[in-house]
Amino acid sequence: MQVRDHSVSLRLAAEARFILLVQGVVEQGAAAFGLDRGKALRLTMAAEELLSHLAETSAGVAVDLTLTPGGWCVRADFSFVADPSDLWAMNLAAREDIGPGRSMDRLGLLLAARMSDGFEIRLDGRVVHLELRQDHAYEAVTPRPVRAADARGEVRVVDDPEPALIREACALAVDHYPAHLVNETFFTPGKAVQMADRGDMTVALAVDGTGAPAGLMTWRSPSERSVGFCGPYVFVRGGGTAGKLEEWMFAAVARTRAVSLFSELATADLTAENYELLGRLPLGRPGLRGAMPADGAGQEGVELDILFRHLREDSGRAVWTHPALRPFLEAAYDQLVLMRDIREVDHAGADLPERSVFSARLRPELGIATLAPMVAGRDADQAVADHVRTLTHDGYRSILFRLDLAHGWQAALAGSLVRGGFAPRLVLPDAGKSDMVVFLHG
Amino acid sequence: MADLDLRRLVPAHVRSFESYRPSNPDRELMRLYGVDHLHRLNNNENALGPPPAVREAVESFPSGVVTVYPNGDCFDLRHSLAGRFGKDPERFLVGNGSCEVIASVIKAFCGEGDNIVTADRTFAVYEWVAEFSGIKARLIPLRDMAFDPRGMLDAMDERTKILFVCNPNNPTGTYWDRATMDAFLDEVDGRAVVVIDEAYFEYVDREDYPDGMALMERHPNVIVFRTFSKMYALAALRVGYLCGSAAVVDMVRRTHVVYSVNTLAQRCAEAALRDDAPFIAATRTMVREARERLCPMFDAMGLEYIANEGNYLMVRVPMPDTLMYRKLMREGIMVRTMTGFRFPNWIRVSLVQGPVMEDFCRAFRRVLDKTA
Repeated sequence: MQVRDHSVSLRLAAEARFILLVQGVVEQGAAAFGLDRGKALRLTMAAEELLSHLAETSAGVAVDLTLTPGGWCVRADFSFVADPSDLWAMNLAAREDIGPGRSMDRLGLLLAARMSDGFEIRLDGRVVHLELRQDHAYEAVTPRPVRAADARGEVRVVDDPEPALIREACALAVDHYPAHLVNETFFTPGKAVQMADRGDMTVALAVDGTGAPAGLMTWRSPSERSVGFCGPYVFVRGGGTAGKLEEWMFAAVARTRAVSLFSELATADLTAENYELLGRLPLGRPGLRGAMPADGAGQEGVELDILFRHLREDSGRAVWTHPALRPFLEAAYDQLVLMRDIREVDHAGADLPERSVFSARLRPELGIATLAPMVAGRDADQAVADHVRTLTHDGYRSILFRLDLAHGWQAALAGSLVRGGFAPRLVLPDAGKSDMVVFLHG
Repeated sequence: MADLDLRRLVPAHVRSFESYRPSNPDRELMRLYGVDHLHRLNNNENALGPPPAVREAVESFPSGVVTVYPNGDCFDLRHSLAGRFGKDPERFLVGNGSCEVIASVIKAFCGEGDNIVTADRTFAVYEWVAEFSGIKARLIPLRDMAFDPRGMLDAMDERTKILFVCNPNNPTGTYWDRATMDAFLDEVDGRAVVVIDEAYFEYVDREDYPDGMALMERHPNVIVFRTFSKMYALAALRVGYLCGSAAVVDMVRRTHVVYSVNTLAQRCAEAALRDDAPFIAATRTMVREARERLCPMFDAMGLEYIANEGNYLMVRVPMPDTLMYRKLMREGIMVRTMTGFRFPNWIRVSLVQGPVMEDFCRAFRRVLDKTA
């Protein structure tokens, strides 16, 4: 029998004597999966810190470690039974509570979070799944001055585009569009190719009659029910490139399990009548990466349109809300003509874990941070305030927080968010398990 | 107890398949959308209701019969169909709607590594059943909104077992005329089974429209699908059937679920065939008048539409079809969104009685006026 994904698995007890074993497996496994030495060591140290933390807080508990190559990354996934709120030190804001003169017992966890290119915590009953991710190193491209030319011959979308064509198109997107509208992956075209190869990102690529790239559009599935797209990026005048790319995307996703299609980064080239405008979000510090665009996008006050379309008929459902969120939701659903039974939830906090854990997706080059709850604890108000303080200190000017209204415990966090200076800005229909609400700070 | 390892137990092609989720019951939709009525224009049902003989069959259905299993292979109904079409009863196979006979045909002819060929923008069930059975569906783009015979033939290889031709096509209403169908069948030359889905057969009143029941006598690889759901308004009872050569049907029968069609459905289907000419004529008139009512409105509004055969038409709206659906639902009108048929921003509308069409027109105009 052949091993399909070439992953390496290990089951062990959370005890200090196994730290060396974990170090060896992760370091050598990551190297075998192609991570360069520096990256492999960072993942090794993060895994070591995590096991060390578990040995102290949940001694003897069974830990399943799986190391998996992801094409453009290597993932180390830990599964164990534990109190999830023990993981609070993975919060971005935890550094204020940890360090010399303060608590040291969570320092390892803090380091593990910081040494990873990404981490994710999810709960499956009482089992915590904690995934640390380390990306391969890729060469980055920078924008070059460029001007769109007329399309030569008929523009068409190609099946299964060549890697070299994808690389070229990514670089062209960087050249043609302001940085804040470009999928961050395009800045490292090699990574974009491997993400496409792994199916972590789908690419629609248009060429003109000469075979030269005419346009590009990408999408991914941030959840089972949703598709997020970037683009369309158009490099030629004429040829109906944007419409062809969009139609290609609709055909590709229309019969999948996705229910909603969203813009993650919508360019002005898209066909407006294909979408519903959900709202606009301010960008933190647009244009910091690469050259300042000529269209004024590098100035203050730039907002990003958030667009969507349903892929199926909406037959309504129930969502949870905190009382503070209800008026906003009622107005938003009415405007979107979305039928929802809105049910209120307001945790008094009695049955909550002690500490909260929030995930964070950071775009430092744009100054945007997007938070989402993984664990909501009794310290939610404080955790929200700590995150805002930390992110503001680090220069993030747009701090977003997303709640999935399928979960009462997430909806209940709206109270803490409002008290912490957040305001709801838009509803993303079916973006998570149910609709998501996006809050903006300030 | 150990966790159930569905990743190991369930084949990959099933795990990756998205199950179809039918819409909520009307009463629930009406409550959510805050309307006191709902015109169903989404499923191409015959709004005239079933023929009079069917009503009588329903009203006289004895309750004592419900304790007895139905006839497992629809004996009486098959004989009625045989009498109607002048064929041996063994050449008919009845299923719980056409979806079941589609599944039976694919099970009968396709194994691992085989493929089917059909259009990319047609009735989705051919593709769905193939994919969840682990069979590759080769989808050929429509040409001028119609099935492309050349494209389908070119897509065939030695592993192609079935070609599905929806004639007329749902949702574009286009059809292959007799010459096109003949040429296609000649070129297939018995290398694969050709399913001609004639779900909307009774709605077509064209001289050059080919009758699959006749074609199969010259082409033993032809299977014809028909249904009692569309013209005869028995959608709730789920009765579809196929007809083919005795040898082909014998193979399909081996994979088919018996007892899947209940007794009331069998009796009503039989009744529907009795003296159906006046009912079919009345339905065709209703559909023609509805088409003549809607098309001028779309023309006046400058909207692109496709109104061909069948009891439906499609119109392209200047917004996502799914948004149009929600706005029309708030007006008590339910249409079919077409993104899933790979016609983004198009809606499909069933053609029904005049007063309902008037309601649709008013609601449609109101929604677009608001949008403008």
